[in-house]
Amino acid sequence: MLGLIIKRILLAIPVLWIVASITFMLVRIVPGGPFEGDKALPPEIVANLKAKYHLDKPVHEQYLLYMERLVHGDLGLSYKYIGRTVNDILADAFPVSLQLGGAGLLLAICIGVPLGTIAAVRRGSGADFAAMFLSTAGISVPSFVIGALLIFTFGIWLKILPVALWESPRHMILPALTLAVSPAAYLARLTRASVLEILEKDWVRTARSKGLSTDKTVVKHVLRNALVPIATVLGPLTAILVTGSFVVEFMYAIPGMGRFFITAVGNRDYDLIMGTTLVFAVLLIVSNTIVDIVYVILDPRMQVT
Amino acid sequence: MSKDKVGFGYIWYRLRNIPTAYFAFWVILSICIVALLSGLHVPLSHYGYSQTTTDLLAAPSWDHPMGTDELGRDLFSRIVYGSQLSISIGVTTALIAFVIGTIYGAIAGFSGGKIDNVLMRGVDIAYALPDLLVMILIGVLIGRGTYGILISLGLVSWMGTARLVRAQFLQLQHEEFVEAARAAGQNSLLIVWKHLLPNAMGPIIVALTFTVPSAILSESTLSFIGLGLSPPACSWGTLASDGWRSLRGHPHLILFPSFFIFLTVLSFNFLGDGLRDALDPRTRLFNYGKVVQDPEEPVEKESPELVTKE
Amino acid sequence: MNSKRKYFHRSLIAVLALFAAFSLTSCNVAKHGALPGTLRINIGTEPPGLDWEIETDSTSFDVVSNLMTGLTQYTPELTCAPGCAKSWDVLDGGRRYVFHIRDDIYWTDGKKLTAKDFEYAWKRLLNPASGAQYAYFLYPIVNAFEYNSKKITDPNLVGIKALDDYTFEVKLTKPAAYFIYLTAFCPCCPSRQDVIEKWGKRWTDPEHIVTNGPFMLKHWQHEYKIELEANPKYFEGRPKLDKISMFMVPEQATAFALYENDELDFVDNRSFSTPDVERCKDSPEFHNVPLLRNNYIGFNVTKPPFTDARVRRAVSKAIDRNVFPLILRRKERPTSSWIPKPLVGYSPTTGEQFDPEGARKLLAEAGFPDGKGFPPITMLYPNRDDVKTVVEELQDQMQKNLGISIGLQNQEWKVYLQTLHRDPPPMFRANWGADYPDPETFANLFTSFNGNNTTEWKDKKYDALVEQAGTEQNPEKRRKLYEEADHYLCNDQCVIAPTYLATQNAMVKPWVHGLKFNALDIQFYKEVSIDP
Repeated sequence: MLGLIIKRILLAIPVLWIVASITFMLVRIVPGGPFEGDKALPPEIVANLKAKYHLDKPVHEQYLLYMERLVHGDLGLSYKYIGRTVNDILADAFPVSLQLGGAGLLLAICIGVPLGTIAAVRRGSGADFAAMFLSTAGISVPSFVIGALLIFTFGIWLKILPVALWESPRHMILPALTLAVSPAAYLARLTRASVLEILEKDWVRTARSKGLSTDKTVVKHVLRNALVPIATVLGPLTAILVTGSFVVEFMYAIPGMGRFFITAVGNRDYDLIMGTTLVFAVLLIVSNTIVDIVYVILDPRMQVT
Repeated sequence: MSKDKVGFGYIWYRLRNIPTAYFAFWVILSICIVALLSGLHVPLSHYGYSQTTTDLLAAPSWDHPMGTDELGRDLFSRIVYGSQLSISIGVTTALIAFVIGTIYGAIAGFSGGKIDNVLMRGVDIAYALPDLLVMILIGVLIGRGTYGILISLGLVSWMGTARLVRAQFLQLQHEEFVEAARAAGQNSLLIVWKHLLPNAMGPIIVALTFTVPSAILSESTLSFIGLGLSPPACSWGTLASDGWRSLRGHPHLILFPSFFIFLTVLSFNFLGDGLRDALDPRTRLFNYGKVVQDPEEPVEKESPELVTKE
Repeated sequence: MNSKRKYFHRSLIAVLALFAAFSLTSCNVAKHGALPGTLRINIGTEPPGLDWEIETDSTSFDVVSNLMTGLTQYTPELTCAPGCAKSWDVLDGGRRYVFHIRDDIYWTDGKKLTAKDFEYAWKRLLNPASGAQYAYFLYPIVNAFEYNSKKITDPNLVGIKALDDYTFEVKLTKPAAYFIYLTAFCPCCPSRQDVIEKWGKRWTDPEHIVTNGPFMLKHWQHEYKIELEANPKYFEGRPKLDKISMFMVPEQATAFALYENDELDFVDNRSFSTPDVERCKDSPEFHNVPLLRNNYIGFNVTKPPFTDARVRRAVSKAIDRNVFPLILRRKERPTSSWIPKPLVGYSPTTGEQFDPEGARKLLAEAGFPDGKGFPPITMLYPNRDDVKTVVEELQDQMQKNLGISIGLQNQEWKVYLQTLHRDPPPMFRANWGADYPDPETFANLFTSFNGNNTTEWKDKKYDALVEQAGTEQNPEKRRKLYEEADHYLCNDQCVIAPTYLATQNAMVKPWVHGLKFNALDIQFYKEVSIDP
């Protein structure tokens, strides 16, 4: 297992390098530059701006300059948020998204996995039907509509939870719920499907026919074997949730980093796009590595390298 | 296994015995027919897409069963018209994700070792690249239109399926029946096709049915970045994203598009579930807790010893 | 009513029952949720920065306008009142301005404000190394353009000079009637050389920044909230408010929900979605003010069929501008002229009036009777809900009134801007907001030397008219010149078809007093007070 971790850390370097290089090229190929504004600027001023951010240099020089800074952990300067470094911006925003995303993830797992298990075990029952209905609604209603419904119901109508903002733990409830709805729905469906798959297995049938109670079978043997697909999905899901959701942060006015994935692209804020992408890539690699380790724990026969 | 003998008639027979799946089948069929007809410009509503300035934002009524929008267009007509793009995008994207994801994941999961490792790092890279940037670029390169939409959505949605298939394969590799097939000297492709894939199907079908709504909804994001449709064409995704702020004033604008997305996805879920059961003869059919009598009860094989992994 | 119909209605009511609660059409009337001494508002997004010489963003100016006072300041009626300058002389036929600065103004760190702070700030704005985008505003000043474009390197050659501690002199290359408005503009506020040099990029942090206006920067939580505190030593007297909390709530519907829950005291367009405007337009808390922001359809006059002025006029004549307030529902003001209503040079008769008959006739004269033979053209527009509504309506009107079909193409914002600036399509939708309350800001846009003129229209007569109007000192002659120029632009040549003016829609809680709106969409809070 230690070997696996070391191998992955060594592999992470080329992966990050490839991601950084492709993104570096992408931002420069996409039309529209950072200084393409609402009101066009005289060419003299654009020249001054480009010189200030080294964008007047040939692309390969910019690339080398960027890579050199990156090696030193410097993610560069934002063109939009003048005077703030990308490191500063992400240091402010990431902890917020991490908290909210962590809460959302926990909520999604706590709702999704039990719901799916119950639906599978009580297959064809009203509970199964209700779970199917809820999870379908959770995925087919856009998250902004779910957010708006929650805000209206709990914030304006019942007045029991804050409408928005980021002040106290109570302010976290509605956004975390909004965030959790669609992954919970997905996890519920996935859990149901993979528990069913295992329940069909001959050894489980045998166990059941030999009189082992259903609940006990499920918890002891089935769920464990059914967890592989769930863990698989949780890898990227963790990275996506803890780096923040644009819709949720936008709706609830939360100062997280989710919004930068959209606004930085909209502003063509090159270094900020690179910064958010790299942070996401690092988290993705870490969580996928953890998933692969979890595979081995769940089923020692699985050979993951 | 009797799986080899499964024919269309048999599947159909079993499917008809699962009411939810049977119902879902008809719902999907009728939505597809409506979509097809509207694609062929068959006038399904006497209002068509005309704009008026006299009947703006009307609530549902006998004239306009789903109300009108801010330009006085009949929402029912818009939804009928929108079904065309939304259905084709939802289904095609899911299929693209299914084909690419399954092949990619199968190669990685079946090969294991170095090949798996390299292929999975490729998935990591594809995941990490900023979607929005990729999609804007595709929009500029390919231009608007259905191809651009399909390529963009297909490109960002196959990775999940690939990871799922690979993980299922890694786990199933060591099941007895696979080992047995290997020992019997069966060809790899045959093992994948006959043993691994059918057993990995449950989670794959879930992933597939979940790609449908997310593709339908992300299509509205595409039109936001200039890759989607040219007005006055519309889709369920754009209708929903245009209408959601009216939740409190004109709820019909968001209620109806969301309802149709919901209905479609629910039907796909039921159908997917039903198909999986119908395809797998080991499954007994359930109907609200009651066991439906199976025409040819599969022979219960003697099970091997209970395998538990501690 | 037949029974079938009744049944239909009944079942419909049942379907909508779930959503019935959301359809509350009335606007909640506020009880009392004031936070004494504190004004809570929404500025929508994070200001990209607070360095007023460098910034260009309106959100940044929302904050800076309350932190800083320039040489002059706007009254609610948008005239220039004395600010840091108690008076000024216009000399040499409008070519030289001498400002007399008050000697009782202190920065928040206790230092006295002098003319040197202005000289430093303006030269910093022009310094090419600053990369300041609004530097071009000062181009009317002697040698300003040369210095900013690195043709000269000595800042002392620029016509900006502190004659002594309280006298500030500016020399212009030619008279410019609108120049005085620039002195109230945020990038032209004074700044402190010692502070900027000491802290570098971090000088706008709350612990370092030094200002001279009615409020002080107390706290800045990025992407979330800015807090301002009253400046007790403000030279016009301490403001009535103790504190302003500026939240950054990007979603309009959320911000409005906060307002309804008494967590914001005032909301404007940034926080006021169209369905909410509709719902609340009869509330006593509702305000609506036209803005100096004109929306237009532009033609690329070098691309057929718009090379023919008759075709352009036909399109402009075929637009029924009265539908815009109906479909956009924010009380937009339809306009056919480019120079908008309260500004000099505005005339209600300027621009093509709605006349489908006349439009068809013009189109027939140009060789396209009933739209026959009209080439397929595409109209470009940026992504925004309201813009989409406008272009879809125009598409429909062109079809109905002229028989021509227009394709629509939307682009992501930056791609749209690049397309407009590099290769403008035959027809596009754009808008322009005034930088200062003078017709110059509008008329100048379509001169051949303006970088924002994306119509490719270069006309010597128009250039001359606008240039003459800009330097004219006699108000009556100036008005006539702008009127003539605008008529030439919108009628004779019809390079653009103006459509409507945007408006400010706002809600103010009853406990807020002294809040005034202006057409430039700049808010000043120094006169505002809150009921205890």
